[in-house]
Amino acid sequence: MKGFRDSTAYPVVYSACLGLVCALLLTVVGGFTRPYREANAKAEEMRRVLEVLEVPFPADASAAKLVEVFKANVRVEKDEARGTTRYAYVPSGARTPEAVALAFSGQGLWGPIDGLIALEADDDTVRGIAFTHQEETPGLGGEIASEWFRNQFRGKKIRDASGKIGIRIARGRTAKGAPTEVDGITGATLTCGKLEFMLNRALRRVFDSSRSN
Amino acid sequence: MAADTASPIGCASCGGTGACGGKGIQTLREGVWTNNPISIQVLGICSALAVTNRLANALVMGGALIFVTVGSNLFVSLLRNVTPRRVRMIAEVAVIATFVIVFDQFLKAFYWDMSKQLGPYVGLIITNCIVMGRAEAFALQNPPLVSIVDGFANGLGYAIVLALIGVVRELLGAGTLLGYSFGALSWYTPNQVMVLAPGAFFTLGFLIALYNVLRGPQPEDAKP
Repeated sequence: MKGFRDSTAYPVVYSACLGLVCALLLTVVGGFTRPYREANAKAEEMRRVLEVLEVPFPADASAAKLVEVFKANVRVEKDEARGTTRYAYVPSGARTPEAVALAFSGQGLWGPIDGLIALEADDDTVRGIAFTHQEETPGLGGEIASEWFRNQFRGKKIRDASGKIGIRIARGRTAKGAPTEVDGITGATLTCGKLEFMLNRALRRVFDSSRSN
Repeated sequence: MAADTASPIGCASCGGTGACGGKGIQTLREGVWTNNPISIQVLGICSALAVTNRLANALVMGGALIFVTVGSNLFVSLLRNVTPRRVRMIAEVAVIATFVIVFDQFLKAFYWDMSKQLGPYVGLIITNCIVMGRAEAFALQNPPLVSIVDGFANGLGYAIVLALIGVVRELLGAGTLLGYSFGALSWYTPNQVMVLAPGAFFTLGFLIALYNVLRGPQPEDAKP
């Protein structure tokens, strides 16, 4: 034993054993907490959808409560063929949706951007926009997730005068009050351009193909 | 205990402070007061400044550190006689990381909102100098029981300082305490600076100054 302790192999064997024990322990803990973590992540996703659709829910709602509100008010319509997901807000008692949220995603400057854009019942006026994931430069591109930027979208139209889908995130001086334009972020030209592209792509995927059908 | 001779560094490294040899009270006192990890050693400042804008966050973070220092000190101490000297740091980090991840997973599963507020700082306990410092400086040379006391004492010392900063920052920055607002404070306009990082620096600076006043002049202060 003493001989083995002094051998070169001992630290290797020791590290391997310790690593194995730690890994085993973490696997057990990870497996045990997994259903709870996944439920929390799911509820978080639902919270974003509820927020962007402006479904009223208590601010301190638990995960279970969020799921309950979500199930009562929101209809999820997945379109496998087109690869789109729509969240329709149908308040209890109502027959037609009050608002519809569409998921969009795409490549940002540093990583993927995922978000939701909510439209009023006319399928043209924007109700709100939210991001579920973004890793843009903090202070520059990261500002897309800030309130002042997102609030600009409220009340904007997704179609221009000729009826074509085209939200514009303007660079430099914007035509004030243009119905499809929001102010871009100085110093975040690339992020804004990519965001504009992915928004319009998602909207076209839902609306343009349905019109051609 | 013949095994103790295998310990790479002897007890002499404590410098005769009396922390060795199962002196629990002494060890506790050192961690919390005379050798407080934050106000004396100025370790673990990063998280102490980052998560103290709310008292609740500071308390959870303090609890997390107590859990990790106690757990890692215990296991590093238990393994001290079989750990090869060359890989001892890897072993320490593996033990520490295991405890931190367990705590992080626990928060994510049962206290989701708290986990979101603390963000990456729970995971960053792995790199907190206090934890590694205690494992390396204390647990590696001392038996398990007194190592637990040392881990607890240092965790508690950290937690107390964090809680104090948290109280000051939440009170001045938001006018609340643990989320409750006081009717008497309704005239107070919250000072945003206290919520931001500079507020944490000011608070910690004043706290360390106050600590030094309370502790009185020290022998080393007399030196030119």
